[in-house]
Amino acid sequence: MVNISSEAKVGLFVLVGLIILGYMSFRVGQQGFGLKNGYTVRAVFPNVAGLDRDASVQIAGVEIGRVEEIQLQDGQAVVTLRIRPNVKLGNDAAATIKTHGVLGDKYIELAPGTNTQAFLKEGEQIQRVESQADIDRLLRQITLIAADIRGVTSSLNKAMGGERGEASLGEIVENARLLTKNLNALVVNNEEALRFTLGNARQLTDNLNRVVVTNDAKIADVMDNLKDASKQMEQTFAQLNEITGSINRGEGSLGQLVKNQETAQKLNQTMTSLQEVSDKINQGKGTIGKLINDEQTARNLDETIKGINRYVSKSEQFRTYLNYRGEYLFDKSDGKSYVDIRIQPKEDRYYLVGVVADPRGRRTVKERITNGVMTRTEEWEKDGLLFNAQVAKRFRNVVLRGGVLESTGGVGLDYLMLNDRLKLSFEAFDFNSDDDDRAHLKAGMEFQVFKHIYLTAGWDDFISKRSNSSPFAGFAIRFEDDDLKYLLSSVPIPK
Amino acid sequence: MNAISAALDGLGKAMMSYVEEMGRILLLFLSVMAWMFRPPLKARNIFKQMEFVGVKSIFVVVLTGTFTGMVMALQGYHGFRMFGAEALVGSTVALGMTRELGPVLTALMVTARAGSAMAAELGTMRVTEQIDALSVMAANPVKHLIVPRVLAGVFMVPLLTVVSDFCGILGGYFVGVHLLDINSGIFIKNITKLVDLGDIYNGLVKAACFGLILSLIGCYKGFNARGGAEGVGRATTEAVVLAAITILISDYFLTAIMF
Repeated sequence: MVNISSEAKVGLFVLVGLIILGYMSFRVGQQGFGLKNGYTVRAVFPNVAGLDRDASVQIAGVEIGRVEEIQLQDGQAVVTLRIRPNVKLGNDAAATIKTHGVLGDKYIELAPGTNTQAFLKEGEQIQRVESQADIDRLLRQITLIAADIRGVTSSLNKAMGGERGEASLGEIVENARLLTKNLNALVVNNEEALRFTLGNARQLTDNLNRVVVTNDAKIADVMDNLKDASKQMEQTFAQLNEITGSINRGEGSLGQLVKNQETAQKLNQTMTSLQEVSDKINQGKGTIGKLINDEQTARNLDETIKGINRYVSKSEQFRTYLNYRGEYLFDKSDGKSYVDIRIQPKEDRYYLVGVVADPRGRRTVKERITNGVMTRTEEWEKDGLLFNAQVAKRFRNVVLRGGVLESTGGVGLDYLMLNDRLKLSFEAFDFNSDDDDRAHLKAGMEFQVFKHIYLTAGWDDFISKRSNSSPFAGFAIRFEDDDLKYLLSSVPIPK
Repeated sequence: MNAISAALDGLGKAMMSYVEEMGRILLLFLSVMAWMFRPPLKARNIFKQMEFVGVKSIFVVVLTGTFTGMVMALQGYHGFRMFGAEALVGSTVALGMTRELGPVLTALMVTARAGSAMAAELGTMRVTEQIDALSVMAANPVKHLIVPRVLAGVFMVPLLTVVSDFCGILGGYFVGVHLLDINSGIFIKNITKLVDLGDIYNGLVKAACFGLILSLIGCYKGFNARGGAEGVGRATTEAVVLAAITILISDYFLTAIMF
């Protein structure tokens, strides 16, 4: 202690003092914490007696702000509330002045409102204000109610009071007595029968209850079926209506038939024989009859239809596009053509199969080992076609492709913009074409001009060492083909 | 007739001397202000005074603060229990301490401890002609003796007040929660709810004013002591009495201005 300098002692004391001050300020200041950068809303009350500045503003008893200002405007009190920034009030919020505590502190209770779309903003006004239940008004209302009650009692008095009223009251009471007496006698005399009836009724309701409970699910099913059936009936009737209408007008061959007497006669005969046939079928005579009346057949038929349904819906899901694309390579004064089929089983995934006619033709490399020395020969077949087979997957605006590009392994990347109308694409393939050339890179863009017509431009093989690089421009035609889809889907695919 | 005129005469003289004294204290204050900002400022002197006024008063201040808070809690409890508002005891203690009792009691304690010591010290220096010696050596006595003491008073009394406030609230908490069985959560919640930052800070501003008053008056009385050992004693007594009275009177006006 002796060695501690007075500076150190004073410093320590100041430090301790400031820490305590900071702690107290923090604890006390927490109340208004975050309130300074809150927002203000206004509420207009007819009467704010007892409400002070800095009174609490609460939602569900939790303080969310303070009263900032109270002003008089047009004979009403305009209260400005400062609300914490993290508390949002719907524009249908309501404000009420309430009282709590022994000293009767007034505070404002807010109902935050149910509207989660539009919130009250800085300076806006709370529209719904419920005025407080102040004692004066309460008393006034009670006075009014008391006056009403007195009116009722006085008229009652008029009706009941006096000798006449008394006599009629007595008569009523006497009648009531007689009635109950008779009733009693009735019940006593018929006690047995009544009990029997009640027992039956109980049994009946029990049975009914059981029936309803056990068949609950079935009834629901039946109802559903009925609903479906009626919907279909409606459609059928509409169609029938149309048909009969046209028949009636004598349109179509059927119409003519119907209008013609002779045909009608013939038709009648046909119908008769048809009737005979169907009768026979119904009785299970003949092959058809057996088939139709056989349970097994019906089941088979059902399954077949289900299978067809599944198949059709699957083929309906996926879409097929045909694509032709021609590019003119400026530096070579020659054209390059692509024909693709794009099969898109899902929105974000497609397969691309196609052929490419490249002016360079198809390259074939042959390696031959003679006496341990490998010789390589490259041949270019001018008319040779190149093949494309790619798998593509789309992530939002980006499409990643990979597979066989122009008969060599490669990858591609597309970026789609302007609602897919503009496509920037980059492809890299032919990585190990020959020892002295680099990979084949191609960058381009494609813009949709009309529904099926695209313009395209870019630069093919732009890092080539063999002066194969060339800017290009061209067009593409792409359309969705339904026939092809059904053709493809009818190719048997093993499950 | 003669007696009446003599009485009036005495009254007038007393009045005049009082006014004169006020004027001299104010002049001393102005010269302290003037010298305060004139370098070189002897930091060592200031720290020594701060240690004396501040650090050495902690014990006394803690004790008074704690017991004041405790007795307030006790009295408040009996009062509030009449209408079932025991929960308000905590906020009463906290508000009373931060606004009023913390600054005033601290200032009075420091007056008794340090203000009297200042008067005695400077008085002794005056009657033993040490102050005259300083003047002869061309060392301004106001700068060397009074400025450090006034600075120490202005800065240390608010800090002591913080300690006093805190101890008072702790004492109140102890009595309220542990002896009188008030719910501790409600006790603290009411404190934080009803006490504002402004209550604490205004109390500290008051405390700084009291610090200035007590150090200035103590120094003034000592600086102007006359007449040997007896004079020193009188100066000390007068310093304490005058400072205490001035603190209590100015407290009213400061409160009226602030709250």
